Parts: sequence; C-alpha cells; structure tokens
Amino acid sequence: MDIFTIGIWIGTIIFLIISFIKNKEKTKQALKMAFNMGKGMALSIFGIIFAIGLILTLLPPSEIAKFVGKQPAMIATIASALLGTITLVPAFIAFPLVGTLVDAGVGIVPSVAFLTTLTMVGVVTFPLEKKEFGIKFTAVRNGLSFIFAIIIALVMGVII
Amino acid sequence: MIMKKIKENIFFVIVALAYIIITFYNPYMGIDSIKNSGYYIKEMFMIMPVIFILTALLDMWIPKEKIMELLGKEAGLKGVFLAFGIGSVSAGPIYAAFPMCVMLHKKGASIRNIIIILSSWAVIKVPILLNEVKFLGPQFMIIRWILTVIAIIVFSWIADKIIKDEDITTDSIIKKGISINKDACMGCKICEKNYPDIFSMEGKKAIVKDYDNRTVDKEKLEETIKACPVNAIGYRE
Repeated sequence: MDIFTIGIWIGTIIFLIISFIKNKEKTKQALKMAFNMGKGMALSIFGIIFAIGLILTLLPPSEIAKFVGKQPAMIATIASALLGTITLVPAFIAFPLVGTLVDAGVGIVPSVAFLTTLTMVGVVTFPLEKKEFGIKFTAVRNGLSFIFAIIIALVMGVII
Repeated sequence: MIMKKIKENIFFVIVALAYIIITFYNPYMGIDSIKNSGYYIKEMFMIMPVIFILTALLDMWIPKEKIMELLGKEAGLKGVFLAFGIGSVSAGPIYAAFPMCVMLHKKGASIRNIIIILSSWAVIKVPILLNEVKFLGPQFMIIRWILTVIAIIVFSWIADKIIKDEDITTDSIIKKGISINKDACMGCKICEKNYPDIFSMEGKKAIVKDYDNRTVDKEKLEETIKACPVNAIGYRE
C-alpha cells in the first residue's frame, strides 16, 4: 500500500468514528449505502479486472514495446496511443516499460502518448463509465483525452 | 429475467466467455490471464471498500450547498484547484474515482471539475509522479506534468461546453409524476424504506407503485428523492 492509500484509509476510519458518535442511524445508513454501491459495481469491476488480465496475456507490454519500436515515428505514435487505450497498467509497470522504450530508441513522442492514454483512456473501463455517467460524457471524456494525449506527446517531442 | 441480467452485465458476460474460449484453445493462457489479474484484484480490494465508505459518508454529511460552493459552476478557479487537489492525492485506478464523482456531480459539482478530478486521478497523482522520476528522470516528469495539467484545463473546458448536466443525471425524459431512472438505480432499497407506499422493488430495481397524486406526502417524497444515492428519482408536479 502506498502512503496515499493508507492516508485515505486512516482519514476515512476517523471520519467514520466521528460520524458514528454524532449520529448512529445516519452512519448505519451510510454504511448500507456503501455496501450497495459496491454490490452494484462489483460485476463491472471484476469484468474490468479479468479483461485486463486477458489483454496482458494476449498483448504483453513487452511485445507491444517490441512492435512499436520497429515502426516509423508517426505510426509508432498513433499505434502506441491506441495500444495504450486498450490496456490499463499500474505505474510501477508502466514507467519501467516506458523507460525501456525511450532507451531502446523508440523516441519520446510514442512513449509519452502510450503513457498518457494508458492511464487516462480506457476501453475496458468504458462500459462501467457509461453506466455511471451516460454515453455522451464517457465518449467525450475519452475522446478528448485521447486527442490531448497525442498533443502532449508531440509537444514533449519538441521540447525534449 | 435471465436475459435482463445478462444484458445488464453484458461486459462481464463477454469477458467470461472469452476466458472459456481461451482456456479451451490453450489452458495455459487461461491460467496466465487469471494470474495476471491477481495484482489488480489485490489493488481493488485495497482501495474500493474505503472509497465506497468515504463516498457514502461525504454524501451523508456534506450538504449540497457546500459542494456547489466548492466545486460547482460558480466555484471558478478555486474549484479547479480543489479538483486537481482531490485527483492528485487520490489512490487506485481510474474506476475508483467513478462513485466519488457521481456523488459529487449529484450534489452540484460542475462537469468541468468532475472531469478534472477523473483525469488527474488517472494520470498525475503524486505516487505516480514519484515513480516517474525514478525511471524517467525529474526533467521528464516536470515537463510532462506541466503539459498534462494544461491539457486537462483545456479539455475539461471543452467537455463542459459539449456535455450538459442532463446528460449525466439521465433524467432527460422528464415525465409528469414520479419516475425512476432504471439505468441509474442500483437497487439500494433506500426509497422503499423511506416511502413504502410509493416505492417498491422489482428484482434489483426500484419501481413506482400505483399511487394517488392527492395523497402524496410532498415532504416525505422530497426527502426520499434527496436520499437516493444516485439521484435516480425524478418528480414533476
């Protein structure tokens, strides 16, 4: 657990205790609400998690890096941005991977495009996001994030 | 009934089918995929319970006016800063931000600030930045951070122009009387408990019973509407 996760746990537990002292009924209702929220989202979340597991097996990040590394810069940028959207990799895997990409001479631009869409745009989280926020919100947010991921990557290529 | 369940959880069903097919085709691949999922399951259990509890507690204790003032349309620059702050000190994957953001929006946070929270939650939170320095160096991290913050400010503004509040509350088809947005309802039964004369459960979703408009206790109804954690109840006189 990183320090922020621990922090959120501690903060929430303190909050919960204060809430309980102030109003038992309300706190019980809140806990029930939390439980039902979890129940409502559980299948979608497990769907996401197992989909990621499957994608990581079919398209291992190291293979992606190898593939992208062979492409010309422009195609590599688009391809890595697209590949970034279908996987969802935690930072401790993503950064070493991008580190090797950069070292292997793939270049900054595709690497940054990959890094940004990796976390911000999600094909696997799309169904859940749609359920919670509606189709328009989800399509606009993911679409804009994708476009700006490429812009960020291009600008970084110019600066660095 | 079964068809309805499948339709509601279509994504999960597709993933499950994919696993079955892959395991038949190559059992090792099926096992590998489950092993690969292991880390994410652990990550999920570490963060989701606390996110749900925190969201419910904030929903209970922070009044709507306060959220509106802090993160609403009129919050301005202060709201933008706060939204970045929330996203940056968060933990867990992007979907962990969903319940929190739905709740905040229901209580009056603007679309723009919701998008800022979601995006910064995904890509610029502090633990991620530290990791980035380790592997890609401080210069890379700082430049990427600045560019990403600018990008989020710009595209959240664009998104705010495109998306209307009604697109989220999904209450766009406004009918007379009491209505329930079935897509949003998550079957928490709170409405049934608060006002059993009007609301009951049908399967996992709440329904509106036959009621006489003249005998509706407006105050009780108002409270029930407010108590709905996903804002799925609509009422038009």
